[in-house]
Amino acid sequence: MIRLFTALLATLMLSGCMSLNSVSLTQIPSDKGQLVSAKAHDWVFLGFTTQNNFVDEAVNNLKQECPNGKLTGVLTKHQTTAYVLVFKREVIASGYCKKA
Amino acid sequence: MQKLILVSALLLLGACARLDHVQIGDIDQSNGALSPISVKVSENGVEMAVVAGVAAELASQSKRNQQLKEIRDFLALINMGPRTGNPVFFDTYAQNVLDALYQQCASGKITGIRNIREGKTYGPVSGEIVRIDADCIL
Repeated sequence: MIRLFTALLATLMLSGCMSLNSVSLTQIPSDKGQLVSAKAHDWVFLGFTTQNNFVDEAVNNLKQECPNGKLTGVLTKHQTTAYVLVFKREVIASGYCKKA
Repeated sequence: MQKLILVSALLLLGACARLDHVQIGDIDQSNGALSPISVKVSENGVEMAVVAGVAAELASQSKRNQQLKEIRDFLALINMGPRTGNPVFFDTYAQNVLDALYQQCASGKITGIRNIREGKTYGPVSGEIVRIDADCIL
């Protein structure tokens, strides 16, 4: 019984509760290119952090997915997953890459 | 003991960064080299209810303590509702970001605009930041 309770508790606590902080989408042209995506995240303990640098990392990763091309229809998601005392902050971006 | 816990909590919360909103715009890397540009504006935000709550905890007289708690509750009620960050005193602080962005880009061709709404929290006081990062096509 205790084992079952512990397993259930661990599953509930470790599965994480997700919240979606913001979503945005830019215009999508008819001659859109290939879909590319990039993401970046950081971990914070009890919400204590002094920087949001992972956002720049997500942008740089997205740029690298489309070198010398044009990215349109950019979908940006900013989400947070809460585990026990620890939070995963994440920026997921995708877009259509049209090579020059 | 309560005061010690309160001061410790305030110190622990010192300069915590908060991220509210991220938006990435279209990025054009096909028309030349890109140079990063950025504009950041900030306005002081204050959570007055928390300030009153802290003052109530620090008040030595029980009557004063009760009055401050009532003020805290009143402030919490009038500031109730959906919001991003702490209330600020001037709501026009982010109006000139577009001009400031163009001043950094001589060619006038801006791409990859990133709108970032974030904050730096120092206990009940915060810096409510609007940051616009972009790339200037050279």
